[in-house]
Amino acid sequence: MSDRMMAGALPPANELDRMRGYLRSDGRKGIRNYAVVAYLVECAHHVARRIVEPYQESGAQLIGFPGCYPSDYAHGVLSAMTTHPNVGAVLLVSLGCEEFRRRDLLEAIRATGRTADLLVIQKEGGTAATIDAGRAWLDRQLPQLAAAPTVPLALNELVIGTKCGGSDGLSGVTINPAVGHAIDLLIDQGGTAIFEETCELIGCESHMAGRAVTPDLGKEIVEAVRKADRYHRDLGHASFGGGNIKFGLSTIEEKSLGAYAKSGTRPISGLLKPGIQPPASGLYLMDTINDGPVRFGIPNVNDTQTVTEMVTAGCHLILFTTGAGSVVGQAVAPVIKGVSNSRVFQRMSGDMDINAGTIADGLESIEQVGARILREIVAAASGTPTRSEALGHQEFALYYKTYEPLGPSCLPV
Amino acid sequence: MTEQAETAINMIVLAAGDNVGVATRDIATGETARDIKGHAVTALEAIPQGHKIALADIPAEAAVCRFGVPVGIARQAIPTGHLAHVHNIASAYINNDEDHYE
Repeated sequence: MSDRMMAGALPPANELDRMRGYLRSDGRKGIRNYAVVAYLVECAHHVARRIVEPYQESGAQLIGFPGCYPSDYAHGVLSAMTTHPNVGAVLLVSLGCEEFRRRDLLEAIRATGRTADLLVIQKEGGTAATIDAGRAWLDRQLPQLAAAPTVPLALNELVIGTKCGGSDGLSGVTINPAVGHAIDLLIDQGGTAIFEETCELIGCESHMAGRAVTPDLGKEIVEAVRKADRYHRDLGHASFGGGNIKFGLSTIEEKSLGAYAKSGTRPISGLLKPGIQPPASGLYLMDTINDGPVRFGIPNVNDTQTVTEMVTAGCHLILFTTGAGSVVGQAVAPVIKGVSNSRVFQRMSGDMDINAGTIADGLESIEQVGARILREIVAAASGTPTRSEALGHQEFALYYKTYEPLGPSCLPV
Repeated sequence: MTEQAETAINMIVLAAGDNVGVATRDIATGETARDIKGHAVTALEAIPQGHKIALADIPAEAAVCRFGVPVGIARQAIPTGHLAHVHNIASAYINNDEDHYE
């Protein structure tokens, strides 16, 4: 069978040649050219949502920060999101009296050569006037963004993030190892991949340290996982819950073992934190647990929050695996959704890009599904919408967190 | 392998030495849990898809092993063929008692 001959192989050249990117001033290429509208406090959320609503199927996306008080972390996340390679133009929506440093953000975005504008509700004269001004802005920007030129894009220019949500007892046996194989294929071609959630790698730290490109990086990785364990013990709750239990996982360490399979087998080149781009190609782990004492509560409130953090590192696309059936997409970076079992795939096929239940059914190998996943990545990078993208999913979550700067051994490359 | 034997594969055992297998589909009480390498165990209770079945008697406080790695500690003795899950497995790290699921 031709599928068996292709097991583990790269997509054919004619598919690879269809990948196109929008060239940005920093040399990165985007696979989309979104107009992003960002609210800078919850009070501006409704206005920003109404601005975007008629245009969500035409390339406009909504993100924002609900908090009124200062947050270096939130500023960093919105800076990274508004200058992400998939973003072509930005409209900031401020109420007027919130703490967010809107001028700093506006100037930082403009410094990248992107069109960026600011609407302040209290200066525009309120809700109706701001919505009108915002929609007029999108009417001007969207046609230009849609008509912008593209350049060729290769696998070694892609940055892919991987995440699991709604994991079940088969996630670690089917879809996660298949993602790991796709990541191996990508890394071998000079691409870049990021995996995260140190709180769901409990028990895997020694194995990860063995894959680190330097021993000091290995020590940082071990310490990052221990930090996650301590933080969750202080919190009183692991990154593990009723949904996992319902679908067969019994402990955080079992979930972690399955989650770890997404990272494949290649060496780990560095440890990142949100907002830090990988300095070179390769595989990276992102630390997604707050530094310092438990101050703002649960560090990763929902799946979308940690996906958002990976997008801030420049991920073009997210490979999101599920067992129970997560439906989320993500603002700015399209999500490719892979499911661990055929039962959920059949029930929710409109939301799923990949069925790895075929592995449990004895119909395909991990390598075959991994090769299919790489083909989906190439298709998405060629402009084909993923399932969640086509359904209009644009989830985004940003709350208060604190991170210290990376230690000196975290990025040895 | 006959076609009948192939469709009887309903479990994955990840590594030699594992004391649990993972059901790839729902396994009914009395049905044989069987993997592709020849592990076979009679299910003494229903094992839903994605859940674990004990391949051997697991003593209380022994490690439950999957892929050669401990994924929990038996809270009580788990006899062969029984469901191994939160009611008889504890985490070596954090246990949450208040989680809700229907």
